[in-house]
Amino acid sequence: MTYYEHVPFRENIPAYALGALDAEEAAALESHLQKCDSCRAELADYRSTSESAFAMLPPQQPSAALRKRLQGRLPGARKSRRVGLTWSFSRLAVGIAVLLLLALNLFSFLQVRALQNQQAQLIDQIQNGQMALAMLSYPNTQAFPIKEQNVMGSLLLDKEYNNAVLILRGLPAIADNQIYQVWLIAPNQERTSAGLLRPQANLPFISQPIQATQDLTNFVGIGMTIEPAGGSDHPTGSQIFRVDF
Amino acid sequence: MPEIDDHQLIKRVVQGDERAFLTLYDCYVGRVHALTLRILGNPMLAEEATQDTFLKLWSRSRDYQPERGLLLPWLLTIARRTALDRLRLEARRPTLSDAKDPAEAWQVIPDDNSLSEESRWRSLYFAVQALSSEHRQVIELAYYQGLSQSEIAEVLGWPLGTVKTRLRAAMELLRQEWAQNKSNR
Repeated sequence: MTYYEHVPFRENIPAYALGALDAEEAAALESHLQKCDSCRAELADYRSTSESAFAMLPPQQPSAALRKRLQGRLPGARKSRRVGLTWSFSRLAVGIAVLLLLALNLFSFLQVRALQNQQAQLIDQIQNGQMALAMLSYPNTQAFPIKEQNVMGSLLLDKEYNNAVLILRGLPAIADNQIYQVWLIAPNQERTSAGLLRPQANLPFISQPIQATQDLTNFVGIGMTIEPAGGSDHPTGSQIFRVDF
Repeated sequence: MPEIDDHQLIKRVVQGDERAFLTLYDCYVGRVHALTLRILGNPMLAEEATQDTFLKLWSRSRDYQPERGLLLPWLLTIARRTALDRLRLEARRPTLSDAKDPAEAWQVIPDDNSLSEESRWRSLYFAVQALSSEHRQVIELAYYQGLSQSEIAEVLGWPLGTVKTRLRAAMELLRQEWAQNKSNR
C-alpha cells in the first residue's frame, strides 16, 4: 500500500482514538486496520496519548457515604479476612491458654500427689521411729544387731507384746521392678513373709515394723531378700541378712 | 501503589474478598470520581457512575488481565464508558457500552509498555491545559462528552472540516508531548 493510499485513513486515526469518528468512516477505518500494521501501531500511539491525557485528572473524592453504599451492594462478598483471622487467632489464643491452664493444673496436681506421698512416707517413718523408741523403753525388748556387708542396723523384738521393728541403713539401691522382702524363719527353716519395704533415697535409715500374723515365739529368726516387685510366696532372691533370735 | 499489590488485590477480589476490594476502592476512587465528575458535571450522577464503575470492578474482576496493562487505566476506561453511557441516557442518545464493557476496555487502553508513572501523566495533563481553547474544546467534547466529529461541528457551529483539522492538530501536539516524555524517561 502506497503512502497516498494511507492518507485518508491516517487522517481519521486521531478522531477514532477518541471515539469521535462518525459511524461510516469508523467502519472503513476498521476494515483498513485489519490489514495495515503501521496504522494499527499509530492508533495504539494515539490511544495511549488520549487515555493518558484525559483520563488522568487530579483526584476528586466522592462523599464518604458512597463507600458504605457500595459495601452494601457487593453480591457474595466475603467479609474481611482480617476479621476472620482475628477470630482464628483469638480462638487459637484461648485454646492455647486453656491447654496451658490444664497443663499447669495437671502439673500442680502431680506435685501435690508427690508431696502427699512424701508426707505419708515421712509420717510412717516417724510412727515407726516412735514405735522403735517406745520398744526400747520396754524392759523385755531385745535388740539384735545386724551387720552384713554395708547393711547395718538392729532388730528390736518384744515377744511378750508380739512386736518387732527393723532399723536398717546402708541398704543397696534396687531397681524399680524389685523390692526388699522380710521373712520370719520357723524352726524348720520355713519362711513366712513379714512385709515389703523400699528404702527412700533421701532418708539415711529406714525403720520397718514386722507384720507378724502369728506369734513371734513360733519363729527363730528373721531375714531379708530382694524379690520381684510385689513380693514372692517364698524367697527367690539373694539374702541380704539373717538374724537369729 | 506498586503494580504487584494491585495484582494480588485483584486476585483476592476475584475470590470475593471485600477487604481487598475496598483497598482498591480507597486507592483509586479519587481518580475514577474525578473522571466521572468531569464527564457528567453533576456530583450526584458522578457518584452513581463511580459506584457503577466499582460494581463492575467487583463483578468483572476476572476480566482484568495484568499482563495487558495496569489496573488504573483499565478502571478509568470502564469509568469513562460508564459515565458516557449515563450522559447519553440523560440526553437520550445511544449508549457506548454493553455487558461486556470491562472486557472490551482492553481494546482501547494503551499497552503496559507505553504507560508511565504519575509524572508523565501530570506533564500530559498540563500539555492539555496549554492547548489553545479551540483545540482543547474540540478534543474535550470528543473525550468527555463522547461526541462524534459531526456532533461537535453541530454543537460548536463550525464546519465539519474545521473540527476534523483542529482535532487532528490537537491530538498530534499531545502525541508529540507524550512521545517526548517517553524518550526523556
